[in-house]
Amino acid sequence: MGTLLTRLAVGLLATVLAAPVLADGERGDRHELRLEVDAGLVAAATPLGSWTTGGFGKLRYAENDDGLQASRLFLEYRGRITPTLGGTAIVDYLDDASSGLGITEAYLDWRPIPKSRNQHQVKLGAFYPPLSLENGANGWHSPFTYSYSAIDTWLGEEIRPVGAEWSLRRRLGFAGSRQELRAFAAGFYGGDPAGTLLFWRGWGLHDRQTRFSDKLPMPPTPIWDATGTVVGYRDQWVRPLAEIDHRPGAYVGLAWRYSSRALVQLLRYDNRADVNAFRDGQWGWHTRFTGVSAQISLPAQLGLLAEWLTGSTYWIVGARPDGTLSPRAELVDDGFDASYVMLTRVLHGTHRLSVRYDSFGMTRAEATPPLHSDAGRAWTLAYRYARNERLSSGIEWLEIHSSRDLWSAFYALPHAATEHELRLQVTYKINMPTQ
Amino acid sequence: MPQCALDHGYGVVRGSNILLCLILWRRTMHPSRRVTVRLSTLSISFLAIGIGQQCSAGALDVQVIDADSRAIADVAVYAVPSKPERQHSDPRPTAIMDQQHNAFVPHVLIVQTGTLVDFPNNDTVSHHVYSFSEAKTFELGLYKGDAHPPVSFDRPGIVVLGCNIHDSMLGYIVVVDTPHFARTEQDGHAALRDLPPGEYTVHVWTPRARPKDLPKEVVAQIGADTKNVVFRIEGKLLREHDDASLTWERY
Repeated sequence: MGTLLTRLAVGLLATVLAAPVLADGERGDRHELRLEVDAGLVAAATPLGSWTTGGFGKLRYAENDDGLQASRLFLEYRGRITPTLGGTAIVDYLDDASSGLGITEAYLDWRPIPKSRNQHQVKLGAFYPPLSLENGANGWHSPFTYSYSAIDTWLGEEIRPVGAEWSLRRRLGFAGSRQELRAFAAGFYGGDPAGTLLFWRGWGLHDRQTRFSDKLPMPPTPIWDATGTVVGYRDQWVRPLAEIDHRPGAYVGLAWRYSSRALVQLLRYDNRADVNAFRDGQWGWHTRFTGVSAQISLPAQLGLLAEWLTGSTYWIVGARPDGTLSPRAELVDDGFDASYVMLTRVLHGTHRLSVRYDSFGMTRAEATPPLHSDAGRAWTLAYRYARNERLSSGIEWLEIHSSRDLWSAFYALPHAATEHELRLQVTYKINMPTQ
Repeated sequence: MPQCALDHGYGVVRGSNILLCLILWRRTMHPSRRVTVRLSTLSISFLAIGIGQQCSAGALDVQVIDADSRAIADVAVYAVPSKPERQHSDPRPTAIMDQQHNAFVPHVLIVQTGTLVDFPNNDTVSHHVYSFSEAKTFELGLYKGDAHPPVSFDRPGIVVLGCNIHDSMLGYIVVVDTPHFARTEQDGHAALRDLPPGEYTVHVWTPRARPKDLPKEVVAQIGADTKNVVFRIEGKLLREHDDASLTWERY
């Protein structure tokens, strides 16, 4: 699958390079290539370490990362291969990931010219399911804050269907009406271990999206002796976007939009993974969730965004990385939920101030008493300024409060933790329209 | 330029000389001299500088307001004469529906049937303009600048324009079967000038009102003076402009 995606991305980039030869000058720029560099100063404080080095911390950075950090460099292609067939590919470079270069998204979208109020669209490739309202900027970045919400961080980490999505958009009401309804359905492969990182590490808030080539570190699993004492730790890792059982997953949803003023989206996602399937050190986790997101434009240039996600995952506690099961292995169904509310305001056209409140948790309902873990909340405050089309900068303060029994029980960590991150970032974009 | 209709629309005298106008009018009363009059009218029309009661054009001042009596701009106003007028043989000037900042400019364009409309794209990105409206179904494949020849709008009706790349782009062409049309200004007024005297049915249309809330057409008798007509749209109107608080192109 990774090879297929690489081929698709290379094919799209080759189209761009060939574009000057193919293009009909009068017909305008059909292909756009954009290079974006995100870098800045980071100061973080966490007693849990960063998750990127196998810690329980929800942040991408920890104290030893303080200083200058290049968070991301990416190349994004968007273009029209024919008037009704478009292509998108995003290749990025991360210096704190298992592989430097990787692909986050690569897909084709076909939009025939509508013959009635019904407009069809078909997407083919690797893409995000439509739920996030934050990640509308290039490269699936957020234009509001630098760190994504807990929900969208998780989508960026473990959810990336590779398949086909069909959608039908219909304008409602009279000729001038700006209301529309969109229904969509998709079948996909991949994403079978989704949920693994969420349950071992807990929720996260950062801006690192998983690429198809990435192997993510996770907190090590404790090794117990017969008496139940922890005698050591075993390193573990996950490839959340992998296909394990060759059983397709599916998602369906609805979206209602009123001009650019209001939008409500509903998504039901099910990876339909086989929990007994094992491949290349990875077990299937049967993860399904329902997400709702809504945004509204308020007077005085204010915007309100909110997302809510609730779901659960079946997985086998005691499933070993060598493909065997421990004698005490049991199938559990763990629930997870998260939400956020964000208020954002444009000031003088080029400045933006955003404040977000996140809350998140995980629950094992079948346990007696029910086991609540990784309960927490976070505040994010961001100010951004776009100097021109190329250069923008900003500052972000992120504070997370959370608690989890697991930390103190097996890892000699505090039961509750407060994490902080201050980020001063500069974004430089280079647009390369090709004829 | 004011028009003065003589003898049921035959012969056009331009100017304001009352005396000459009256003479011509008297002479037209004699059927045997009609041919002569027509020729004379044409030959001396540049001298005639008068507007008399019977040889003048009227005007219509239309005001469109909402339920709270606030002016509504960009409303299409058109007056259809009860008796068909002689069609001008001059080619109509080509109308323009521009594309700027991912929007159709103007948002509402009014044209007479048979008008050619040019769709230049002055944006830095390409657009793919289409319409599936009954009055005109067409498509201008992905382009920038003046890549496509103008499109002819031959059937009266509302043509809703869209862009297959940018879903938020919406524009309207109101195709009317009369040369007498205008769009309301910021003060809610639209002036229709040079109307030959007679009976007209006056219509208004805006995409911001639900069809059931659009006022019924009004029949107006046009003489030589200016007639005022007020249309009130009672229902709730869609807001004019979109808020920018949740758009993020620059960041």
